[in-house]
Amino acid sequence: MTVLPITVAILVAGGTYLLCQPGLVRIVFGITLLSHGANLVLLASGVSAWRGEPLTGTGDPSDAGDPLPMAFVLTAIVITLAVTVFMLALARIGHDDDTPHMPDTGENHRT
Amino acid sequence: MTGTFLPLLIVVPLVGAALGVLVPAAVARVLLVLSPVLTTAGGVALLVTHSDTPVLAHNVGAFVPGIAIPLVSDTLTAVMITVTGLTTTACIAFARITGEDRLRFFPALVLMLSAGVNGALLTGDMFNLFVFIEVMLLPSYALIAMTGTWRRLGVGRLFVVVNLVTSTILLIGIGLVYGVAGSVNLAILTEMDADDPRFQLAVAVVLLALVVKAGVVPMHGWLPRAYPATSASVMALFSALHTKVAIYAVFRIVQTVLDGAERWTTPLLVLFAVTMLVGAYGSLGERMIRRNLAWQMIAGVGYILLGVGIGTQLGLAAGLFYMVHHILVMGSLLLASGAIERAYRTHQFVGLSGLMSREPLLAVIMALGMMSLIGFPPSSGLFGKVGIARAAADLDGFRIWLVLGAVLLASVGTLLAMSRLWANVFWGPPFDEMPSRGSGRAEPPTVAEDTRVRARTLLPAGILLLTSLAIFVVPGPLWELCLQAADGLLDVGPYVEAVTGS
Repeated sequence: MTVLPITVAILVAGGTYLLCQPGLVRIVFGITLLSHGANLVLLASGVSAWRGEPLTGTGDPSDAGDPLPMAFVLTAIVITLAVTVFMLALARIGHDDDTPHMPDTGENHRT
Repeated sequence: MTGTFLPLLIVVPLVGAALGVLVPAAVARVLLVLSPVLTTAGGVALLVTHSDTPVLAHNVGAFVPGIAIPLVSDTLTAVMITVTGLTTTACIAFARITGEDRLRFFPALVLMLSAGVNGALLTGDMFNLFVFIEVMLLPSYALIAMTGTWRRLGVGRLFVVVNLVTSTILLIGIGLVYGVAGSVNLAILTEMDADDPRFQLAVAVVLLALVVKAGVVPMHGWLPRAYPATSASVMALFSALHTKVAIYAVFRIVQTVLDGAERWTTPLLVLFAVTMLVGAYGSLGERMIRRNLAWQMIAGVGYILLGVGIGTQLGLAAGLFYMVHHILVMGSLLLASGAIERAYRTHQFVGLSGLMSREPLLAVIMALGMMSLIGFPPSSGLFGKVGIARAAADLDGFRIWLVLGAVLLASVGTLLAMSRLWANVFWGPPFDEMPSRGSGRAEPPTVAEDTRVRARTLLPAGILLLTSLAIFVVPGPLWELCLQAADGLLDVGPYVEAVTGS
């Protein structure tokens, strides 16, 4: 029962540390850790250690884990993945947060 | 109108977004104009419906209440959908007039953004609130990355990181709520014991994430840095939608789930008063028009949330009234600033001077907008502040002085900030007598003798401003709607009944 909270604590602590580091790639790693921590919190709210798989035919439904948090986690994973890809693209385009010169983005329009 | 129409408000813009990628650009630009007009019309239809039916609810796919995806609309939702729809229409009209909507994916992204906004306003479930806020944010990341100055590339990172970390906190909060209550459906959560400390903590984590997204001091730093780096139309869109959706969710969750926040009145009032003051005086350090206005947005967030802090029917209605006023006026000022940028290629104070004699129409629009922001007549701002002052008068003891003093001091700050903007941009010598234009780092843009702001680029700003002036002349109907919405927040009976069907 204590494995889950300790794992969440380690993930969140590591994620927070990486978020405070310079460089967008480190921040991306930090956010990945943080979101894994969040996903485990969600899982913990439905699938506790004493519950079985929420599949029909594998046991009494009253003993099965709650499938709703798993759906939450799935949604959250997809969203984080999409944003991570976008942030890695941003990391490739700019050089740092105070980019002093206009980077070459391949654009040719004026807005 | 019945509840079965509610999903259309989300589906129509979402299908429009998908089509916007597939069809030729010219068709996509028509879809882009059509969708917010339909949203506004839907909002008005909802307002009419709510004059006799207090709440409409629909469980998508007719699943059992509690498992289904609930969409709920009451007066508060309808007011928000109408006002955000109207402002979105104005922003898109501006983007169309300036040609910004020619960017290939601009129509699709804005349509997806408005689908997310409508969804977040309609949903009756915390997890779907998170999903719709993400649907709203993902296109915003792309919009920040593709419009505005090159500064956006650095600022885009800030915006993405802040919002993603905040969303993670929101998700953790929702997980905790589910763990404590076994549901994230707002109607079912009303039955929870609001004094259970575990439940309070879980909801507090959700609210923490929402106030960061709203830009409450001391978590406001990202807003005045990120927003001004985008183009004016996108900033006006964000100012009307993003922070306001978060504020809407705070109103909804505090009132329905926590039954108000009476025990926390004093700390909340102090927090929001500080937000107003920091926002109002923060403008004084800025040297660009839209950066100036971005700080005033933070002040506006403070005013609106004072309504939740006060928590009475009058307080909630006053906060809501202020929100409507603030969305309209801020949109008008930002779009007017966009018109300046369109003609003069800069919104820096150092590059602008003497616009009052050069651009009389622009000067009138900006002057009235600024007076509205400060709270002078003839504008909706006067009644916005009167409403908050009136609601504060029902508090007891020092809290009255806290709120009234903060409103007064913040208004003085806004007045100073706006007169500084006015003196720098609208007064001063004409362009050919200016000592130097530009910041010194780049070549100053040259202004031809006959450069003028085109009248049609001022049209969207003018329409939003006229709405604000109309609210000054006839404040009654909107105030009635706000009172009705506040009633809906205080008495959650009809809301629960409509969602659970019992």
